[in-house]
Amino acid sequence: MKGPILSAKGLVRRYGDRVAVAGFDLTVHRGEAVGLLGPNGAGKTTTLSMLAGLVQPDEGEVLIDGLAFVGEDDPRKQRVGLVPQDLALYGEISAAENLAFFGSLQGLSGSLLKHRCSEALDMVGLTSRSGDRVKTFSGGMKRRLNLAAALVHDPDLLLLDEPTVGVDPQSRNAIFDNIEALRRAGKTLIYTTHYMEEVERLCDRVVIMDHGKVIADDTLAGLSQRAVTAGRMAMELADVRDGAWLQTLQSVSGVVTAALVDNTLSLEVLEVDRGAAAVLACLRDHGVRVTAFSTHQPRLEDVFLQLTGRSLRDG
Amino acid sequence: MKTLTQLVALVRLDLRLFLADRRALIMLFVVPIGIASFMGSLFGGSGTKGGKGGIGGGGGMDIVMVDEDGSAVSRGVVAAFQNDAQFKVLLTNAAAARDLVLNGKRPVALVLPKRFGADAIPGWFDAKRRPEITVWHDPSRSMERSLVEGLLVPKVVQAVAGNALTPEVGRDFIRKGLTNLDRGPGRMLGQSERFREWLQRSDDYLATLPSGGRLTTGGTNTFSIPLPFSTKSQALTRTATAEYNGYAHSFAGMGIQFVLMSLLDMSIGLLRDREAGMFRRLRAAPLRRGTWLLAKTLSFGLISLVSLTGCFAFAIVVFGVRIEGSWAGFAACLMAVSAMSATLALTIAAIGGTPAGTRGVGIAALLMLVMVGGAWVPAFVFPKWLQSVSRVTPTRWAVDGLDAMTWRGLGWEAAVGPIGALVAFTALFGLIAWLRFRWETE
Ligand SMILES: Nc1ncnc2c1ncn2[C@@H]1O[C@H](COP(=O)(O)OP(=O)(O)O)[C@@H](O)[C@H]1O
Ligand SMILES: [Mg+2]
Repeated sequence: MKGPILSAKGLVRRYGDRVAVAGFDLTVHRGEAVGLLGPNGAGKTTTLSMLAGLVQPDEGEVLIDGLAFVGEDDPRKQRVGLVPQDLALYGEISAAENLAFFGSLQGLSGSLLKHRCSEALDMVGLTSRSGDRVKTFSGGMKRRLNLAAALVHDPDLLLLDEPTVGVDPQSRNAIFDNIEALRRAGKTLIYTTHYMEEVERLCDRVVIMDHGKVIADDTLAGLSQRAVTAGRMAMELADVRDGAWLQTLQSVSGVVTAALVDNTLSLEVLEVDRGAAAVLACLRDHGVRVTAFSTHQPRLEDVFLQLTGRSLRDG
Repeated sequence: MKTLTQLVALVRLDLRLFLADRRALIMLFVVPIGIASFMGSLFGGSGTKGGKGGIGGGGGMDIVMVDEDGSAVSRGVVAAFQNDAQFKVLLTNAAAARDLVLNGKRPVALVLPKRFGADAIPGWFDAKRRPEITVWHDPSRSMERSLVEGLLVPKVVQAVAGNALTPEVGRDFIRKGLTNLDRGPGRMLGQSERFREWLQRSDDYLATLPSGGRLTTGGTNTFSIPLPFSTKSQALTRTATAEYNGYAHSFAGMGIQFVLMSLLDMSIGLLRDREAGMFRRLRAAPLRRGTWLLAKTLSFGLISLVSLTGCFAFAIVVFGVRIEGSWAGFAACLMAVSAMSATLALTIAAIGGTPAGTRGVGIAALLMLVMVGGAWVPAFVFPKWLQSVSRVTPTRWAVDGLDAMTWRGLGWEAAVGPIGALVAFTALFGLIAWLRFRWETE
């Protein structure tokens, strides 16, 4: 089929007076992997809910293969798989029973359902635990099953809402490997995360959201070529003294974060050149001597910082 | 086809989760059976076997008597209670009797005072000499007290008449009567001569009797005062074998109560699932909310049906409860009750907001419905106004329908009314749930 698999136009969603999503546009083509980045409360989950047809937008429309969903039981919903941010699994029954249930809701039955369930379990490496009750699983295993439950009906478009959040590094790698395999298998992915390195590794395109709006939508290369002036610096201090100056430093304009660990001062600033000058002046005023100074190569995280004036993780 | 697959999957999941929940199973089977057995034995037991420990049960009620007089009359009263199969009498002294009642070992004690026999006859004419019988009773056993006090009157009259009314006493009465006749207002009626003649003749008759003999009929000790009527009590049920069965009622009542409580619990589980975002995946599937609600109604209804059937099966096997009426009507009643319970639980969840708030309000509302509906105590003992109020509760129709098909032994026509009412309630609750139940978290 030609044309975009997904196209969202002017999506708006309000909760009372609060505008969760304030005009969201996105076009995604088959096989693309799009990273959706934004601090907490930016409107990512609400956006995915609208894309998956869970939530009706107050304004705008979502088209899957050029057509909008009609009714709650539109069969085109089967083209989409949603991995919810919060685990949505039944702990009292087995992994296989969970998958069979979610598969049936997608209209699967009989041998096809069985086949798809074992495929999905295999994909996330839980075949050996398929008969065990889910409440006996570790957090990482539940996350993997949460992913598998969105795969049983073999959707073309996968919406992943922070699929690796709160997981130990080993499980995170396992899940990430699964998602890369899906990507290679030709699935279209929209991937929401806090982890910049995941987006850098997985996605060819990045959408940055803040306050319910898209503030950047570009390829990774395109974003890197932007004149990034924001950045991170580190300074080695000869003498920390009483450390009281740290608060003054945090309130200097242009400084986003300042943290002191032993003799190392780490900083995020909106503009590296002006920021450095202001920081050094402040330190001199307080009689703190600097023995070494370094700036980091600008990365995606710095783009984010520049665009939003906020650090990604502390949203 | 797809809708059917979804429906089956949703119902299967609920049943599967229900079977995995041991607490829910206990709530729906063990607890109602236990409580219904207890309540059934309190309220009359089963008609055929006779409840143990109940009022008027086959074993007889244990009471204590103290005879401080030892006269023929007092011994007659004790004997009258001993000969009554409703009582088992323990004869002891006053101090021991007090202790037994105080400690709750016996519900009632009767103390016949000294000179009881001697003063019994004069007491009829002279209030100052009237002997006083003390009745000690356990305050928590007022039903037993009423029964003993009620039967005390005929038994005392019987004993006094049989043991204290000698020819001498009779002639003494007549002498007093004759004296009064000469002075009293009776003269003016013009009848005094005829009355004097009657008294004189009676006195002559009494004089022929051996002194100290008894004025008994047929020469036995059991003289009885004839009453102007006699009673014949008969419990009214349709079939000859049917009798009021406390178990039939208590199993219906408790079954319904615990079904409602369990279903409320499960509806609150839905609210908790909603808060936890469990429905997001359901809503992402091509699933209609209506299908989902219908599935919930079906699985709740099925669970209710199985629980009620289990309760009644137990009552039938263990307590001899019989479906005296129509089996088809009984089965239809169980289904209607289950459908009503399922939709009622969903409605409460639909109106309620948070899980905790819904639990509090829901339990209060259900207990009210269950109580007013006559699930605890049969509605026929309620005051008039409460009986009318109870008619607008679905629980009243549920209990009435099941009662009609069990111990009342009525035909299936008698189930039509209750079933119609239950179906109407089901439709109403179903509509409210359909209009009001949100499955969005947003
Ligand atoms: N059900 C809701 N009711 C009210 N406000 C909500 C609801 N869901 C989300 N919001 C608000 O909408 C905004 C966006 O939330 P969300 O989409 O969850 O952001 P993100 O996933 O990026 O953290 C937030 O301000 C949040 O408080
Ligand atoms: Mg979110």
